[in-house]
Amino acid sequence: MSRRELTAGAVGAAAKERRKWNLRPWRRAIVGGVIIAIVALAAIFAPVLAPYDPNETDLLAQLQPPVWAGGSWEHPLGTDNLGRDTLSRLIYGSRVAMIVAVAAALGALVLGTALALVAGYFGGLIDWFVSRLVELWLCFPPVVLSLILIVGFGVGLRNVILAIILVDWTRFCRVVRSEVLIVRRHDYIDAARLAGFTHWRTIRREVLPAVAPLVLTILSLEMGIAVIVEAILSFVGMSVESTIPAWGVMIADARKEMYQAVWGLVLPILAIIITVLGFNLLGDGLRRALDPKLRQRAIH
Amino acid sequence: MSGGIFGVALRRIGVSLPLIFLVSVLVFVVLRLIPSDPIAMSVPPNATRDEIEALRKEMGLTLPIYEQFGIWFGKVISGEFGRSIAFAQPVARLIGQSLPATIELVLLAAIFATIIGLSGGLLMYRLSGGRGEAATDFASTLIMSIPEFLWAIFFILLFGVALNILPFTGRLDANITVDKITGFLLIDTLIQGRFGAFGNALAHMLLPAMALAFGTAPLLMRVLRSSLMEVGNEDYMTMARLRGFPERQILVRHAFKNAFLPTLNLMGVQFSFLFGGTLLVEVIYSYPGLGSLMVQAVANTDLPVIQGVSLVYAVAVLLINLGVDLVALILNPKLRIAK
Repeated sequence: MSRRELTAGAVGAAAKERRKWNLRPWRRAIVGGVIIAIVALAAIFAPVLAPYDPNETDLLAQLQPPVWAGGSWEHPLGTDNLGRDTLSRLIYGSRVAMIVAVAAALGALVLGTALALVAGYFGGLIDWFVSRLVELWLCFPPVVLSLILIVGFGVGLRNVILAIILVDWTRFCRVVRSEVLIVRRHDYIDAARLAGFTHWRTIRREVLPAVAPLVLTILSLEMGIAVIVEAILSFVGMSVESTIPAWGVMIADARKEMYQAVWGLVLPILAIIITVLGFNLLGDGLRRALDPKLRQRAIH
Repeated sequence: MSGGIFGVALRRIGVSLPLIFLVSVLVFVVLRLIPSDPIAMSVPPNATRDEIEALRKEMGLTLPIYEQFGIWFGKVISGEFGRSIAFAQPVARLIGQSLPATIELVLLAAIFATIIGLSGGLLMYRLSGGRGEAATDFASTLIMSIPEFLWAIFFILLFGVALNILPFTGRLDANITVDKITGFLLIDTLIQGRFGAFGNALAHMLLPAMALAFGTAPLLMRVLRSSLMEVGNEDYMTMARLRGFPERQILVRHAFKNAFLPTLNLMGVQFSFLFGGTLLVEVIYSYPGLGSLMVQAVANTDLPVIQGVSLVYAVAVLLINLGVDLVALILNPKLRIAK
């Protein structure tokens, strides 16, 4: 099937669906969005929601199990080895996760997409240079590169965000660049140029909207990845300062008490998985709902 | 067909060498951003200002940064990575001790990931279109949301703590020692004919390798399924169905052969990520490999070790990509003619 036929068929299908305003293709994105909204609300209203101060220790109530495993309602999800309330630490931990997810993913989006647009649109020497830069970056496993960067910058929230941006911009750059190369060949880009649009305006008004759905999808997936990377870094003690509760730190702490208090280990892990699942469902759902090619395949 | 596979391999190596040089520049520059003074870590607290200045000169830290880099890189080329500050041992020896353990683990994990990824992809394709599709879709998204280090902890809790059927610390039980020949335990034990020790080493690698494989396989599954779906509508597939071949045979002989290439390309990227994924998995399983070494070096700000290990990682990634490219070349004759 040629590209043109595909697009024509997709436009027809999209128009038909718009008339019905069908929610079905959006189901996945909605489920993901609801999960993320809940985590985001927990992060924003942490001081209101958390029953205790996340760093308040209670040496008389160490390693309490959750309610369903024989604990008391005083600490519904139990406590850690210093008697800190697990529920409160989980709620406050969502703050670091969400801040890193949003800031790092947006930063990587801006850096990666900007380079991809310039490289894909102008081609030639700029494209060559950007492509070699991406190749250089791909020589490192991402975890290794982020660790090197954190050693160079020092720990702290801002440096973690910066490190993730500098590692993961290639994800946007690679995918968006190849999409720009396709968009660039379309007649309407030439038409825009002939109508007297400047390069900058052509990129902004014609190319960027064409790649926007793709960028949005990667953004959502990247937020999930940023949550994982932050958890990894805080697990090895290379993320935020030790006074700030983070899920990775909770896992590292609970690992020492694995035999006595399993739930202390399982709960932060579940928090990470649910958050990442939310972002992945959102990204995957957006991809399905916004990409007419995939939607057509689903109709077949 | 100029030079064929051999020519392509040479060309790829030719491209890789400047990349390795640039990688080492990048690592060197980033690590020099470090907020603390490297001298402060290696002098006693009562050292005088003059002594510090003398040491600074002796260590070459007064030279401009490109000269420092030149000296370091010159030594790296001749195989000398400097001495670890925290371990007080040559970095080359530390890497030599830990690299075989990691390679062993990564190879086993890659085998597991390939088996799980390919069979899972075929299964997902068979289930697609039916009622099972939504369920497998959700399951694969869920599994994809679990990174390898969380699998690692899950497996410890399940197989190590709760069921207590598999070991989860180190490479061998404490009462077993194996003479070192190659450093690869699975090879050394076999050479010496010690099958009990071989089984023990394999049992220790099982959980970390499975954790790594579970972190890698879901993406392979998805890509294989979507390329199978693309291939599924091709004319030769319809022809094969019309000729009355059983669906299973069509899937394996016709569809899989052509749908495999995108998955293979992805495997290159995924397996180099897998190499990096060993970092946390090794720490969690107290497995004495390159990842454990790196994390310890990072915790101690042991710059010579960090530089050396980073370079080894970069070389490993390039080698994996080279290997995957060559396999793709062997499997796909089109690539050979096009060049």
